[in-house]
Amino acid sequence: MESIGTFLPLIAMMPFVGALFPGLMIQAGRNVCAMTAAVPTILAIIMLTICAPAVLDGEVLQFSLPWLPSLGLNVNFFLDGLGLLFAGLILGIGILIILYARFYLSRQDPMGQFYTYLLLFQGAMVGIVLSDNILLLLIFWELTSLSSFLLIGYWKHLPEGRQGARMALTVTGMGGLAMIAGMLILGNIVGSYDLTVILENKDAIQASPLYLPALLLILVGCFAKSAQFPFHFWLPHAMAAPTPVSAYLHSATMVKAGLFLMARMWPVLAGTPEWFYIVATTGLITMVLGAVIALFKDDLKALLAFSTVSHLGLITMLLGFGTPLAAVAAVFHIINHATFKAALFMTAGIVDHEAHTRDIKRLGGLRHLMPITFLIAMLAALSMAGIPLLNGFLSKEMMLEEAAHTVWAGSPWLVPALATLGALFSVAYSFRYIVHVFLGDVRQDYPSKPHDPDFGMWAAPGFLVLLVVLIGVLPAVAEPLVRTTAGAVVGGELPYFSLKIWHGLTPALFMSAIAVAGGALVLSIHSVLAPRWDAAPRPEAKQIFDAIARTATVFSRWLTDMLHNGSLSRFAAIFAVAVIAAGLFAWTGGEAGPPVREPLEIAAVPAIAWALLVLCSLGMLVFHRNRLLVLILMGVVGLIVSLAFIYFSAPDLALTQISVEVVTIILLLLALNFLPKVSPKESSPGRRLRDGVVAGAGGLAVAGLTYAILLGDFAQESISAFHLENSYSGGGGTNVVNVILVDFRGYDTFGEIIVLGIAALVIYALSQSVLGGAGGRWLASGELDSKKAGDRHPLMMVIASRVMMPIALMAGVYIFLRGHNEPGGGFIAGLVVAIALVMQYMASGFAWAVARQRVPYHTTIALGVMAACFTGVGAWFAGRPFLTSDFGYVTIPPLEKFELATAMAFDIGVFLCVIGAVMLALDSLSSMARRAGETVNQLPMDIDPARRSVANATDKMAVAAGKEA
Amino acid sequence: MTELPVMMPASPEIFLACAAMAMMMVGVFVKAENAYRVVSTLAIVALVFAGGLVLHVGGGRQEALFGFFVVDDFAVFMKVLILIGSVVALIMSEGYVQREKMDRFEFPILVTFATLGMLMMVSANDLLSLYIGLELQSLSLYVVASFQRDSIRSTESGLKYFVLGALSSGLLLYGCSLIYGFSGTTQFDTLALALTGDDTSKGLIVGIVFLIAALAFKVSAVPFHMWTPDVYEGAPTPVTAFFAVAPKIAAMALFLRTMLGPFGDLVADWGQIIWLVSVASMLLGAFAAIAQSNIKRLMAYSSIGHIGYALMGLAAGNEEGLKGVLIYLAIYLIMNVGVFACILSMKVQNRMVENITDLAGLGKSNPAMAVLLMVLMFSMAGIPPMAGFFGKFFVFMAALNAELYALAIIGAVSSVVGAFYYLRIIKIMYFDEPVEAFDKVETMGLRGVMIVSGLLTAVLFIYLPGITDPATAAAASLFGG
Repeated sequence: MESIGTFLPLIAMMPFVGALFPGLMIQAGRNVCAMTAAVPTILAIIMLTICAPAVLDGEVLQFSLPWLPSLGLNVNFFLDGLGLLFAGLILGIGILIILYARFYLSRQDPMGQFYTYLLLFQGAMVGIVLSDNILLLLIFWELTSLSSFLLIGYWKHLPEGRQGARMALTVTGMGGLAMIAGMLILGNIVGSYDLTVILENKDAIQASPLYLPALLLILVGCFAKSAQFPFHFWLPHAMAAPTPVSAYLHSATMVKAGLFLMARMWPVLAGTPEWFYIVATTGLITMVLGAVIALFKDDLKALLAFSTVSHLGLITMLLGFGTPLAAVAAVFHIINHATFKAALFMTAGIVDHEAHTRDIKRLGGLRHLMPITFLIAMLAALSMAGIPLLNGFLSKEMMLEEAAHTVWAGSPWLVPALATLGALFSVAYSFRYIVHVFLGDVRQDYPSKPHDPDFGMWAAPGFLVLLVVLIGVLPAVAEPLVRTTAGAVVGGELPYFSLKIWHGLTPALFMSAIAVAGGALVLSIHSVLAPRWDAAPRPEAKQIFDAIARTATVFSRWLTDMLHNGSLSRFAAIFAVAVIAAGLFAWTGGEAGPPVREPLEIAAVPAIAWALLVLCSLGMLVFHRNRLLVLILMGVVGLIVSLAFIYFSAPDLALTQISVEVVTIILLLLALNFLPKVSPKESSPGRRLRDGVVAGAGGLAVAGLTYAILLGDFAQESISAFHLENSYSGGGGTNVVNVILVDFRGYDTFGEIIVLGIAALVIYALSQSVLGGAGGRWLASGELDSKKAGDRHPLMMVIASRVMMPIALMAGVYIFLRGHNEPGGGFIAGLVVAIALVMQYMASGFAWAVARQRVPYHTTIALGVMAACFTGVGAWFAGRPFLTSDFGYVTIPPLEKFELATAMAFDIGVFLCVIGAVMLALDSLSSMARRAGETVNQLPMDIDPARRSVANATDKMAVAAGKEA
Repeated sequence: MTELPVMMPASPEIFLACAAMAMMMVGVFVKAENAYRVVSTLAIVALVFAGGLVLHVGGGRQEALFGFFVVDDFAVFMKVLILIGSVVALIMSEGYVQREKMDRFEFPILVTFATLGMLMMVSANDLLSLYIGLELQSLSLYVVASFQRDSIRSTESGLKYFVLGALSSGLLLYGCSLIYGFSGTTQFDTLALALTGDDTSKGLIVGIVFLIAALAFKVSAVPFHMWTPDVYEGAPTPVTAFFAVAPKIAAMALFLRTMLGPFGDLVADWGQIIWLVSVASMLLGAFAAIAQSNIKRLMAYSSIGHIGYALMGLAAGNEEGLKGVLIYLAIYLIMNVGVFACILSMKVQNRMVENITDLAGLGKSNPAMAVLLMVLMFSMAGIPPMAGFFGKFFVFMAALNAELYALAIIGAVSSVVGAFYYLRIIKIMYFDEPVEAFDKVETMGLRGVMIVSGLLTAVLFIYLPGITDPATAAAASLFGG
């Protein structure tokens, strides 16, 4: 049957291809436009008819096209009884709707667009029922949501239309996503995404622990699509769409997609208690609820919409029973409902079209004005009510028969009673459709004179009603189709059944009789009930939907306000807490192993130092607003750290640390000049508490981690041994730290001095641009003017710094030279010399000092970097890699023999760079000070300008002396 | 002369570095009013050329620079995505940058440097080269985020990003040093050999966890995502467009290579953290986005959610999961670029607007853009047959096959919630009363990006192997090597 199978993708594609044309052909007139929409549908119907005999013989047609072969995903189509029934319904009613819409739509409506959307939708629906692959099915499924929302929103000028489209989109879209997840889980259980394969794996699926989640997710999708309780509310709101759309989407096709899927998955999902209780109960509730609401709706289409909800519930309930006979009844009712409900929607559309109102309260007596419409509507409504000799009766009988045998949670009467109640209200609203609209006196207040429409408009419902009667009188004509379809649903042998009008005096007949009598009675007291119903408080689904949306928004706003209020400290706190928690988690996860090292003995002096360290750190917390005090405390901390280095025999580190401390403290001190003495209080006590707790936890965590790590060994031997061994033989120095800096890791150092130089330049550039902008104006405004010390450049300090200067330089040279073998080196030497120079500037004033400074700082930095660089390049000439050092020994009398390593040239680079960087930073600070109004001293010993008047004479003399010099 | 290390596999990076430095010179010496245009064009050409080099170097495992740098199919795949993201970001920013007076030539250069850092990250085969690449990227991004210096929002976002980014970098280094301390190496290959999964020491796991936290910050996964909404909203829109794509992909690449390479055998130890981060990201992305009114902020939450889905594949910790992530990222790139092209076109009378309500009535005033944006939103929500669905599909399948059922179901639920706000945008475009119509889409580039990405999103399902085949090869290269 491969050859017939190739029709399947063509059937699915036909409407999509056809969708291209109506939009274009509308130029050629409305009839041509409708024709172009009809032709592809008719072609598809013809192809389906060709396939039909084979399917009715029990064959399953298949077609496969590779898509993602590596994943085993193929474009698979198949056609069995169920697919045939639905494809027939979709295409058959589709062609009738196309005909009907041609006459229904007015000249102002863009018809081409309408047919395009309609065909898109039709194609998607056909795709659903023909797909053999889950993914393909899902694609078509969502396409129906998309195109249906285009159709529902078609009349954009109606606000309810917009509301309806939005709700339909939200509910079915979200339901669809849930279903996707469920279907994928199903595919995962089976290991294949082909429906035909999945349908053969009932046992595997029902045994899987994922059966329930998958079932729930799929059912959510189906219920949302088929407007089952509690998702039933969107369907009536979608009724703002043009009537042809309502007739097509909301009676025959889209809302049945959920039913289709339940029927499709029936063989693998049904039969479990979960399935029964979820599906049957939902169906039952929906059936009764929908019927009751429908009775009290005054809008014709709303009445029909809720009746549709009710009937869909009925079919859902039948599928939920899980017995083969119930499945037969479900299939039969699907056919019957499609015929009479589509006809009813179309008559409602005719009434609306002619009388210009759909409000039942304003209608009545149309029997005389529109006899043909009345006949059609009456037959269809009677069928809906389940009156004998019409097809609705047959399937309703079967439903009641099944319900009569169903036991729900141990109670044998609950389901039958409720089913009868549902049927009763169903009869009531069906009669109401006839009585209140068509019977009664002719009303005179119609906006226009209603009359029967053209043949074109009533042809489609008329044809459907013919079917209603035909099946009602001769049920056997539908039997082959029902049998094949039900066989496909059940996926196995069907028990004996026959479609006939008279089954004898069964319980179902009595229930039916009660329903008809009761329904008539309820309708007769409708005028009494209706006001009470309107007054009764009841949950309005739309309001609930809006409330849920609003709650979600409120919750979301609360969530984001709480998390993302823009406060950086909160961000950092969350960050820290998360890291601590993750660290704790990790700590509990791994193997620690016993500590392999003994803690060191704690001697008294280090313990005191340690206590001082902790005390100073805490002190910084307490006094953090007093900046000067904090700086001093920081200095103490730095000092203790360098002492600790000495204690652990690391003199190099200690030297470096202490000189870095001195330089940074001095520079910071100078910078503090421009800042308020006390920083403002910014956070509340609560926040400080929070920050304290978080910081404390973080600190303890890091300390604990460090402690634990110190007690253990690292995975590999430390690299120290290698350095100790090779320091002298490879680097020519006995001071390993220095050799590391200038030799082993010379490249790093080279990078670092460049960074240092760049940092100094950046400080300079920043201070220049600050001075040029608002910051400079602020400095110049004199707001900074605080009390100054009387002696800017005290005599004692000037003298001392000058005496110290040569000594410090000497010390610097000494430290530099011994650096390669003993503690010292270019970096420390640079700092020492820099400190000596900084002291000159501080003691004697900037201008005075700068006048005596020959080499500009930028140049110093550049020279340093270049010296280091050329040393490195020099190694190339010796055929060695960049920065390889060499050394030799020279004797310059009268000195002792000493070692000269190329590393020393490199060290000079470091030395120069450090000096240049520190001095440039100082220069930047001083230029800020000058901007802030500090006068420039010309002389080494200067006093505060405020005291100048007193000391004027002295000053003048000094200036004169300076000039002479 | 000494022998030079193997460098050829790194030729795209070396080229980009030289090109960026050359562009700085060009920028300085070209006339000021032309500088931006010239440099921007040069940057695009350089990035495209670098892409050509990447393809020329090709897949197949090649090491360079003493094993610090590695090129394989995975690297090629990721680098191509990153380069596309950067080039498109530059193309899209043209109009905006000139109009908003931020047309300084440093902008394209910074983007180029950031891209260079990202390429380094993708190819890093050592904790040290990882850090260098990451910092080059981050430092460039900090500056770019605050590029609109006169805007308080922009500078604030840049500062926040910098402070938190520095924190995370510190954490990364701390983690790296712990890892080094307990394994004795920083090289990925040696690490992989050393860490076999039995008797892992605590210190090492803490190190890995810190590394994860820092990387989670870079991909903006919950709870390290805090910077994202502020930076997305505050940064100039073209910068946000850039942020949303290339750096995310690069950081994900880094994440994948680090976790699945050297620490692949320890998946039992870190898998749960990724699991948690993934769940939290998906949920927060879904729920927090509902209340947003600013579309850039919305996209921030959306990106957090998307990262959550991508991490789902990582949580699976196997080749299938990796493949899922790669496909996800490729599709994420396509979609996001399109959405940002639309956001960059939200301009009323020469003034940028950013509120979701400003989209009202777009279906009438600019039907073509509305259709494209609708396709993109459906895709973001993961509704078939749009590309976004397939991205989710592959990671979901990976999670299910790895028996991470709870993760998959939470993912499904949050994608349902997430659909709410994507659909809301469609509803606003099509059903709300029109407000002022947008100006015409500014540049050809912007229009082109919008159309190409919208079309690709819509029709990708016809030829999926175009993405899945390279992704499969890339995933195999990381596991096979």
